[in-house]
Amino acid sequence: MDNNLGHRRIKAIKGNLPNMILYENKRKKLIDVLKWGNTPFKKFVSTGEIREELGLVKSRKNFINTIENIVKEDKNFILPIIGDVGSGKTHLYWALKNSLYRYNTFYISLEYIYKKFFYNIYSEFIENLELAPLKFIINQLCDEWGACERKFGFFHVADLEKIKNYAFKLLSKKYSKIETEILTDIICGIVAHQLDPYKKIEAERWLLGELMEAKELSRLNLSNDLRKGKNAFMMLRLLIENSKSGTILFIDDFEKIISITEPKDESAEEIYDPSWLYGPGKSPDDIAAEKVFNKIVQLQQIEGLCIVITLKSIDALEEIKKKYQEQNADLLFSIKEPLFLLDFKEEDIFEFYKERMRNFYEDIRISDFNKAFQNPYFPLNKRILRNIYESTKGNPREIIKVLIKIFNEIIYSNEKLEIVLENYE
Amino acid sequence: MSDVNGNVLYDSVKGIKKEGEFVGSIITRCSDDKDSMIFSDNLKISNSEGIFISNGFKVGFELIYNKMSAFSRKIDELNIKDTSSIEYVILIPEDVMQVYDEGQFSDAFPYTLNKLNTSTLYLDDYEYGINHLDFFKEEMLRNPVAFVGNGILLADRVVIDFRGDPVFYDALIVGRDENNNLSVSYEPITTTKKSLTNVKWIIILGIEELKL
Repeated sequence: MDNNLGHRRIKAIKGNLPNMILYENKRKKLIDVLKWGNTPFKKFVSTGEIREELGLVKSRKNFINTIENIVKEDKNFILPIIGDVGSGKTHLYWALKNSLYRYNTFYISLEYIYKKFFYNIYSEFIENLELAPLKFIINQLCDEWGACERKFGFFHVADLEKIKNYAFKLLSKKYSKIETEILTDIICGIVAHQLDPYKKIEAERWLLGELMEAKELSRLNLSNDLRKGKNAFMMLRLLIENSKSGTILFIDDFEKIISITEPKDESAEEIYDPSWLYGPGKSPDDIAAEKVFNKIVQLQQIEGLCIVITLKSIDALEEIKKKYQEQNADLLFSIKEPLFLLDFKEEDIFEFYKERMRNFYEDIRISDFNKAFQNPYFPLNKRILRNIYESTKGNPREIIKVLIKIFNEIIYSNEKLEIVLENYE
Repeated sequence: MSDVNGNVLYDSVKGIKKEGEFVGSIITRCSDDKDSMIFSDNLKISNSEGIFISNGFKVGFELIYNKMSAFSRKIDELNIKDTSSIEYVILIPEDVMQVYDEGQFSDAFPYTLNKLNTSTLYLDDYEYGINHLDFFKEEMLRNPVAFVGNGILLADRVVIDFRGDPVFYDALIVGRDENNNLSVSYEPITTTKKSLTNVKWIIILGIEELKL
C-alpha cells in the first residue's frame, strides 16, 4: 500500500517537471548560444539589396525628420548627404525607407549601375513599387485616356484604337521632345495590359521590364522592350508623375561621376594612364561618366522625383556643382544644402549595442534575455564599449568591426569570458 | 438598395412622369411581350412629345421563323409618343454607377469569354425554351443581362458554376419592392437558384454589337 502511494507521488512529480524550472543560468546559456556560432555582429557593410531593420541611433533621429520635411516641402530636388567612409550612408537608406514607408524609396549605387542606366533604374523602381500599385497607376492612366467611357450609359466597350489615339494626342503634347516610336510603344503596352485580356500576360511581362523576343513584341504591336533607348525613361517618367505616393531615388556613391573623370590626388603614382591608349582626348571612362551625368540631369525632369545622393566629402559636392554650372546652371538651384552624417556620439554606441542585442535575442527567439542580466551590456560591459568608442573615434563601421572581432574571440576561444575580455577592458 | 426616389423619371404604376432632359445611365423598361429594355445615356421627356431617346441600345426577344431569339440593336433615335408602352424609366444614381465601374476592370479573371453576337444563354419558356447553361458550365461570360424575378439584372460577367447555376459578378439590379416602388442596388456577387424558377431569361450581349 505504502509503496504504491510513493510510486504515485514520484509519477506526479515527474509529470510536473517540464514546467518546474527553478533556476536557469542565462549567462551560461547565452555564452553557449554564442559558441554554437551565433553572433549578433556579422557584417559591417550595408548594401542596397539586404534589408536592414535596425533604426537610427538617437543623435541621428532628427536626420530622418529633416529629410521628411524637405520631401514634403519640395517635389523636385537633389539632397546631398555627406559622410565619411563607414559613417552609415547606405544604412541611412534603409532607415529612410522604413520611416518614409508611404513613399516609394529605391536605391541605386553608381558603383554598379552605369550601363543601361534608365533600364536598371526602372527595374529597381518596379521591384520596390510592387505589382498592385503599378496596376493602380496603369488603371488610372487608362481611365484618363477614356477607357472608362460608358457606351449607352452602361457598357465599357473599350475601343482600343480610339483610346490609343487619344493617349498619343495627350502624351505627345505633354512630352513633345520624346520620339513618336517610344510614345507609341508605351501607349500600346499599357493599353494592352489594361484592356486586352488576350495580351495581358505578355504585356505584364513587358511592363515589368522583362527581356522579350521579337515574336512576343510583334504580338503586342511593340517595336522594342524597355531595354531599348529611352523606353524605360519614359515609362519611369509616366509612372512617377502619375503615382499618388511620392518617389525618392537614393543614389549611393554619387562622386563616382567625378572620380572616374578627374582623379583627385594628382601626386598619386599612376600605373595606368588612359591617355597612353586613348590619347589626350576623353577616355571611355570619361565618356561613361559624362553619359551617366547627363542621364541624371534627365531624371531631374521627372516631376515628383526626389533624389538623395551620398558623397564622401564637401569637395565632391563642389565638383558636382561645378559640373552643373558648366552644363545646366538652372538645375544648380535644385541642389539643396547638404546634410552631414556625423560619427556616433558616446551615448550612441550604448544604444546601438543594446538595440542590436535586442534584435539578436528576438531573431533566435530568446527575447526574455533582453532584461535578464544585471549588466545590460552582457557579455560585454559599459567600460569595454567606451573603449571601443574611443579607439574608433565613433566611426560606426569601425565600431562594428571591433565588435565582430570581440564576439568572434568569445565564440572561438577556449578561455573563460573574463579572460577573453581582459584585452579590451 | 439605393434611394432612387429622385431618379425615377417615369413610372406607369406609380404615375410618375418627370419632364426634362436627362443625362447619365438610364434604363427604360418596355411593357411589351418581348420583355425589351433600352439602355441609353440620354433621354428627354415632355408632355407633348412623350419620351425621346437618341443613341440607345435595345435588348429583348423576337420570334424569327418560329424560333425565339435574343436581339440587341442600336437605336439612333426613338420617339415614344404613346408612353403606355413603357413601364418605367430610371436613371441609375452616379454613386452606384461608380461602384459598378470599379468592378469592371478586375483583372483577377483574364480569361473571360466575350461573345461576338448577342445570344440567349437561358430562356424559361414552355414553347420556345432555351438552355445553354450546361454547355458553358465552369466558363465565364462577359456582359450578361437577365430578367430575374421581376427585376432587371445587368452584370459585368456571369459564371456558370459546376452545378450549372449562373453566378453574376458586379451586378446592377433594378426592380420593385413590396410596395411596388422602384429600387436600384449594386451586388458584387449575385447567385441564382439551381431550379431557376425565378430566372426568366439571360442574354449575353455581343461585343461586336455593343461596338456598333
